Amino acid sequence: MVRTRDRVAKAVLYAVLVLGLLAVVGPFVWMALSSVKPEAEIREVPPTWWPETVTLENFRELFSRLDFPLYFFNSTLVAAAVTAGNLLFCSLVGYALAKLRYPGKRLLFLAVLGMLMVPGMVTFVPQFVLVSNMGLTNSYAGLILPFLVGPFGVFLMRQFLLSIPDDLIEAARVDGAGELRIFWRVVLPLCRPALATLGILTFLASWNNFLWPLVVATTEDRYTLPVALALYSVGQNKTDYGLLLAGAVVVVVPVLVVFLFLQRHFMRGIATTGLK
Amino acid sequence: MRRTIRTGAAALAAVLALAACGRDAGGGQEEATAVAEGKATGEITVWAMGTEGEKLADFAKEFTAENPEATVNVTAVPWDAAHQKIASAIAAKQTPDVSMIGTTWQGEFAKTGALDPTPPDLFKKDDFFPGAWDTTVVDGTAYGVPWYVETRLVYYRKDLAAQAGFPEGPKSWDDLKAMAKGMKEKAGATWGMNLQPGKTGSWQSVLPFAWSNGAEVATEDTLSFGTPELTEALAYYQSFFTEGLAPTALPDGALEPGFVKGEIGAFISGPWHMGIVEEQGGPGFKDKYAVARMPAKKSSTSFIGGSNLAVFKDAKNRDAGWKFVQWLSKPEVQVKWYQAVKDLPAVQAAWEDPTLSGDTFLATFGDQLADAKAPPAIPTWEQIAAAFDVEVEKLCKQNTDPAATAKAIQDQATAIGTGA
Amino acid sequence: MTSAPAAAAPARPVGAERSDRSAGPVRRRQRLRRALTGWAFSAPFTVLFLVFMAVPVVVSLAMSFTDLRSTDLRNPFAVNVVGFDNYARLFRDELFLRASVNTLVFVAVGVPLTIVVALAAASALNSALVRFRALFRVGFYLPVVTSIVAVAVVWRFLLDPEVGLLNNVLRVVGVEGPNWLGSTTTALPSLIVMAVWRNFGFLMVIFLAGLQAIPGDLYEAARLDGATRWQQFRTVTLPLLRPTLLFGGVVTGIGYLQLFEEPFVMTQGGPLSSTLSVSYHIYNQFGFGNYGYAAAASYVLFVAIVALSVLQFRLLGERS
Repeated sequence: MVRTRDRVAKAVLYAVLVLGLLAVVGPFVWMALSSVKPEAEIREVPPTWWPETVTLENFRELFSRLDFPLYFFNSTLVAAAVTAGNLLFCSLVGYALAKLRYPGKRLLFLAVLGMLMVPGMVTFVPQFVLVSNMGLTNSYAGLILPFLVGPFGVFLMRQFLLSIPDDLIEAARVDGAGELRIFWRVVLPLCRPALATLGILTFLASWNNFLWPLVVATTEDRYTLPVALALYSVGQNKTDYGLLLAGAVVVVVPVLVVFLFLQRHFMRGIATTGLK
Repeated sequence: MRRTIRTGAAALAAVLALAACGRDAGGGQEEATAVAEGKATGEITVWAMGTEGEKLADFAKEFTAENPEATVNVTAVPWDAAHQKIASAIAAKQTPDVSMIGTTWQGEFAKTGALDPTPPDLFKKDDFFPGAWDTTVVDGTAYGVPWYVETRLVYYRKDLAAQAGFPEGPKSWDDLKAMAKGMKEKAGATWGMNLQPGKTGSWQSVLPFAWSNGAEVATEDTLSFGTPELTEALAYYQSFFTEGLAPTALPDGALEPGFVKGEIGAFISGPWHMGIVEEQGGPGFKDKYAVARMPAKKSSTSFIGGSNLAVFKDAKNRDAGWKFVQWLSKPEVQVKWYQAVKDLPAVQAAWEDPTLSGDTFLATFGDQLADAKAPPAIPTWEQIAAAFDVEVEKLCKQNTDPAATAKAIQDQATAIGTGA
Repeated sequence: MTSAPAAAAPARPVGAERSDRSAGPVRRRQRLRRALTGWAFSAPFTVLFLVFMAVPVVVSLAMSFTDLRSTDLRNPFAVNVVGFDNYARLFRDELFLRASVNTLVFVAVGVPLTIVVALAAASALNSALVRFRALFRVGFYLPVVTSIVAVAVVWRFLLDPEVGLLNNVLRVVGVEGPNWLGSTTTALPSLIVMAVWRNFGFLMVIFLAGLQAIPGDLYEAARLDGATRWQQFRTVTLPLLRPTLLFGGVVTGIGYLQLFEEPFVMTQGGPLSSTLSVSYHIYNQFGFGNYGYAAAASYVLFVAIVALSVLQFRLLGERS
């Protein structure tokens, strides 16, 4: 009796999930397929699905016009640094906010939340003037430092760390471990899902960041990938869709790689191991 | 207690800082300074957008050959958000020596005081198309020179037009309407004409009709949208929609395929569409379409756009920057630049070159450029244009009365002001 | 070892018991040590935060009380202080009011919808019933990473009144679908659906992390007590997921109140401003160079965001 109920539930679940999957992958598949179509076919209305003509011209043109290794390196360096910074500093602060007691903690958390709620556009110009007065224009530091930490990461880690049982930490403290050691050895390993989540989201945001790198870089050798791609595909009055889509495919591949690599860590069981 | 003192101190500091603010009445004409004689020297940093940015570095090698002590350092900037990049650079005083500037941005950037007035010894106003030169003039002073231009023409299907009774294309307002009607009724097109029904940039399609009807519309000091000439132009524009000749909701991207298939008989656009349409239509399509001057009422006036070149006041190498700009404005160099990137020259003498005068389509563009206008170089133009677009959208989709539309635009424009 | 859910253990602050036993200087020293530890952990973040985030916020707030325009950028102090003038003007601005209504509708419908869909997807992928979880996880996350240009083309096609998939499907059952993106009544709902589609993957990833942190023993215990899957969800999952749900709700609310990309790419705020969002209006104002005015609008938006978040904290926050 239970088994049939289980099987029906399974079937329904699979059906819903597969339908959902088809619904979500559509544009992505179109994007990938269209990157190998000639410009005229991409503009066809109604849009074609399978390419009538397959051409690698878009990619060829992209790689010949674009100094791909340079921009890829810049984007990778910046995104990796920003992600590492966020993972480290935000979890430190998140832990302090969730588990430690110290004066000013509430004010700090409120400030973090407040910052999270400030609409992005309004601080852009003051932030740029500040960074340029610090002499950081056209430098990797200028691309990385303003994003090395973020209120989003702090909020996420704090919420997640709240659910780590205090007994664990107490036990370690009773054993005489220093706070940093507790953080590093006991708490952080339990946070793998949250860290993986924060890692992916931060990497994605940094990788796709367009406006800041555009404004901070004054010479092309500090451009990141999205900036360089926009350079070649969007004109004053016309858009080169072939290049745009080829660029979009190129930009998305590293993100998917990072995602595939990190999503393994949404694994059940890690959180339970400490309770014995 | 401590907290109150601290917040109090912060508030006081803020109030004092704000109290230090204040505008003084300023403005008026600026005098241009002459440029030193001789060849250019030193490093010249240039910002250019899009394809121009890509190709300029290579192209400038000829300049450095003639001026061996100078180097040209070009940074290509994407069009997307280029306006923001230049504005931010001005705010942080991190501008290059020379930059390409969109014509509609000129007013705003000139008013920041960041641009250097054009030295009269290097450039003559009459060398350039009048409409283009006007885009560089703010408060009576020119800041920069036009680099390349574009203007709008009527693109139409020759075969459909012939069936509609207009083998030579439309010449007047009545012609255009009749041709559109004929294309629909006799030649089987779904839409005789495509006109932008409001939304961003529709003013570039509507104002040519207004200008062709003698409407002044806007100058640096006055905004006159509430005129009978503009109302008449709006009514004419609206009639295409009410008579079913133009679509009110054409899906994005459907224009070019529609034109190629013969479903759309005509549309208004600039020189870049030649490439798109010929690519979409494949080989041989060039024979199927043609371009015509804006249809005439009191005149045949179109919109002129393009980009200008400006040198910044904070430039490290001002003199060399102007010399580079001067070199780019030589007619031979303008022709060579056209051959490199297909940008139409802003210098009138360049059009005598057979590359341009020999091609029929290009010759029509050149012809139209002599009678093409641009909006005044005021910093508030983008905002006024946005209000204009919103009212035009109501005009085309909701059939609002043209006179009421004109009045609404005038009211909003007056509220926005000329930013003087 | 089965025990009561971890959340039942009181979240006692660190070192509280110790201070009861000692007195005077020892207690002060311990408090000092605690304070130092806390701030040592928070220091790198706080420094970067103050410099790169707090300062620009203060500056832009000050900007909202002036009539700063982009033409003043070289001389930002040569502007007039206009007090609350910008703010007052906002509430007389027809477009801003329209945008506010649009945005509120968008949030009121979009946030709950996204949370429900994301939670459903995360629960489904967390369940032991499903194989190939990685495939689904990546798949559902794809809309978040797909270029907005590709998304726009496909969705525009889907919603096209003549050749679009949706209307063709409706035609099969005899219903004539409207011009989804071209009609002032259906444009915003269409964008809501599109936004939910685009963003649920982001939230799903967060919920998955939260679900993973719930120990399996608890479900085991509940099942032994005879609870159905739905009851397990209500009594085990939801309460333990609370901090994550709060986080998800706040972050989605913040994101949706700042809706920008979808109307920007799909409808340019139209038709007739029916999809104009507050963020889009602010973007336009910055584009026009009305920096002071746009800053004021941004801080009004900020107040709305704070209000919504406070509401969510009240509903979903810790009971302490």
